[in-house]
Amino acid sequence: MLKMLGIHKAFDETKVLQDVDFCVNPGEIHALIGENGAGKSTLMNILGGVLLCDSGKILLNGKDVRFLRPKDAMDAGIAFIHQELNLINDLTVYENIFIGRELKNRAGFVDKKEMIRRSAALLERMGVSLDPNTMVKTLDASYKQIVEIARALMMEAKLIIMDEPTTSLTDVEIKVVFSLMRTLKKQGVSIIFISHKLGEILEICDAYTVLRDGRVVRSASVENATADELAYHMVGHPVRTEQLQTGKKHGKEILRGEKLCGRGFENVDFVLHSGEIVGFTGLLGDGRSELFSAVFGAEKLQGGKLYLEGIPVRIDSPIAAKKLGIGYVPRNRKENGILKDMSILDNGTLVTLEKYSKGVISSRLQRGEFDTMGKRLRIKMSSAAHKITSLSGGNQQKVVLSKWLAAKPKVLIFDNPTQGVDVGAKEDIYDIIVSLAKEGVGVVILSSESQEMMRLCDRAHVMYHGKCAGVMQRGEMSEYEIMLLATGGREVKA
Amino acid sequence: MNFAAKMKKMWRSQPLLSVGLALVLLILVQTVVMTIEFTLSFAPEFVFDVKLKNFDSFGAWGQKLITNWRNILLNNSYVGMIALAMTFVIISGGIDLSVGSMLVAVGAMVMVLINTKEAGILTSLGITGIPAVVIGVALGLLLGYLLGNLNGIIISKGRVPPFIVTLGTMMMFRSVTQYFMQTRKGAALPTAFKNISKLQIGGNMVLPIIYWLLLAVILYVVARHTVFGRHVYAVGSNERTAKLSGINVDRVKRRVYALTGVIVAFAAMVQVARIGSMDYASAGSGYEMDAIASVIIGGTAMSGGSGSVFGTLLGTLTLAVMNNLLTLMGVDPFLREAFKGAIVVAAVLLQRKEKQA
Repeated sequence: MLKMLGIHKAFDETKVLQDVDFCVNPGEIHALIGENGAGKSTLMNILGGVLLCDSGKILLNGKDVRFLRPKDAMDAGIAFIHQELNLINDLTVYENIFIGRELKNRAGFVDKKEMIRRSAALLERMGVSLDPNTMVKTLDASYKQIVEIARALMMEAKLIIMDEPTTSLTDVEIKVVFSLMRTLKKQGVSIIFISHKLGEILEICDAYTVLRDGRVVRSASVENATADELAYHMVGHPVRTEQLQTGKKHGKEILRGEKLCGRGFENVDFVLHSGEIVGFTGLLGDGRSELFSAVFGAEKLQGGKLYLEGIPVRIDSPIAAKKLGIGYVPRNRKENGILKDMSILDNGTLVTLEKYSKGVISSRLQRGEFDTMGKRLRIKMSSAAHKITSLSGGNQQKVVLSKWLAAKPKVLIFDNPTQGVDVGAKEDIYDIIVSLAKEGVGVVILSSESQEMMRLCDRAHVMYHGKCAGVMQRGEMSEYEIMLLATGGREVKA
Repeated sequence: MNFAAKMKKMWRSQPLLSVGLALVLLILVQTVVMTIEFTLSFAPEFVFDVKLKNFDSFGAWGQKLITNWRNILLNNSYVGMIALAMTFVIISGGIDLSVGSMLVAVGAMVMVLINTKEAGILTSLGITGIPAVVIGVALGLLLGYLLGNLNGIIISKGRVPPFIVTLGTMMMFRSVTQYFMQTRKGAALPTAFKNISKLQIGGNMVLPIIYWLLLAVILYVVARHTVFGRHVYAVGSNERTAKLSGINVDRVKRRVYALTGVIVAFAAMVQVARIGSMDYASAGSGYEMDAIASVIIGGTAMSGGSGSVFGTLLGTLTLAVMNNLLTLMGVDPFLREAFKGAIVVAAVLLQRKEKQA
């Protein structure tokens, strides 16, 4: 159906794509994988008409096509669902589905009734129970994804590009999206699926293509492939999957929460010792992010008590948390983690700027500390003076981490630390977390990936509807048990 | 890479290149226009006469050029200083429309304080001369700080958009000033106060220019090399990230507006000292727009997070030189604003970044 042949693309002098061939068959779910910066997005932007290739051909159903604008690609039946969803939050579901292609009635006004009717019919055909009149801003991430897919279908897309559709979804929501993808496949729609989650690729895809440093290193059927194999092709060397042990007795208690209540969570208890890695997992909207936002003072704690090293504390702002030695690496790096206009150095030293300043900031001290941090975290960059947006996702995350490492916190909270991060950077981040714990820092990890819980955490709390559904020690954890607790499949322990 | 591509890349990566080039071009044209005009006035019958080579007339030409430049810089020093402060406000993601009215409020209060006639408050208390000037200046700066702080507190604590807050205070500051000043017209200012601007250096009145340039240097260092300066950029770039990094966002915002208040107060006193009086209805009006225009031409993004003090300096100069050029060329004053507007839009068009991949 789709053939991209001999695609070349360079930005200035950096060759991003070199002689890339990429083919997708009708009704096929084709995985496009590779580390951050391997050229996946560039290739898809060329296909979506966002970028022009320097040389190469695109054949669609045997016809030579050339997309100069995104609209050309859309008209040819190619829909691009970006990682950052392109929905307008202040409009309803049906308005978003029809945006730019609104139906008009005879009088020339928008034909609401017809649009609602068709949206409802489409959503029903997709097997989704969703009222087209719902405001998009009230929807969960998975439903937003579904609205995007519905929009693609409404314009009769034959090929849908999905760029990391599952990163912000929970396991249950992923199942919803997957079953929809299977339905589409049966109807002859092809899907290009970009993801870092190898398990998902094995589960849903028919074929895969691996890009590394702008070249195709492998393109094959998913049948008989293993996750190790895919990971091997992505990074070019074998990847570890073993458990990461801190191998150290835990120290004294650092942080304890008793009956913590707030918006989205209630009556949560937890204890964190020095040198311990404690995880919180569950489905999206289970309250874990809200809970630790509140512990960090970014949201309001409505009830319960917090003890730092046994002493009751009140944390009403991140400023207070920082003073007490609590650090927080938030989720959604783009919205919460980075300053896109500023340099790598500025980003990496933001928390501790005061430390380098006697009236005027000593750039020697600032650079010195950041360079040490950069080496420790293996941040790949040509110069710290470049903007942070010039880095890949994994390296951006490391910079966000470095700003808190410089503050030498007693407690460090990570919310979704490996979101949108490639395999190599993920291992680097795990290494840092383990080495922090070895140094005696108490680490809290919030993640919906059960794998992450099992590999890293000494103890995992599973949240369900804002309550702690169960606590498991290292060794007791299994994906099945976690899922059972997270979906409310087991009675909440009294 | 060929030369054209290199130039293009530099153009994209250095937002100030376009402004700098435009400024140089304007200055060249301006010098040429002045020279022609000068030659015409000197020897109207022989436009291209060799008389220019005559040492005397060459010296006169140079003198005229210098005087013209001094006037440009003098006349724009107040707006120039306010624009420097506005740079911080806009980098922090805000806007301050009240600067012009604030200038009037401070100017009025200082004049009421140090008036040497009986109506002067300090004079009536028996304080005159240097002490009166010192107290007047100190209170003037304090008032600027308080008014700026008022903006800052409503914006940060009240969570009201800066545009709305400062639109409101813009009206309030001027209106209240005019109300109080109805009966207090005409002030005589002590020489010591006038000397803030008028003290001659080398036979020229250049102090306001020196203040402006000095302030530019200080604020350049503050923006780039102090914790406060970096925090201003951080807050403007992404307030949420700044907050989650333990930065006191409210305090940073408040300080930005307070700093602006103090600088506006200073500009007000420099202006009053030079002119010796103030028209409460019109003084400072339009300064907010000129300051914002300078900041924008200087490459600072309205969305906050990026920009530079040096760029604003170039921006103010560009507007000033253009205005001067239009005057020299005899363009109708009503039309000059149109050119000003066009240059703002053109500057942003030139600096816009290539569509990101």
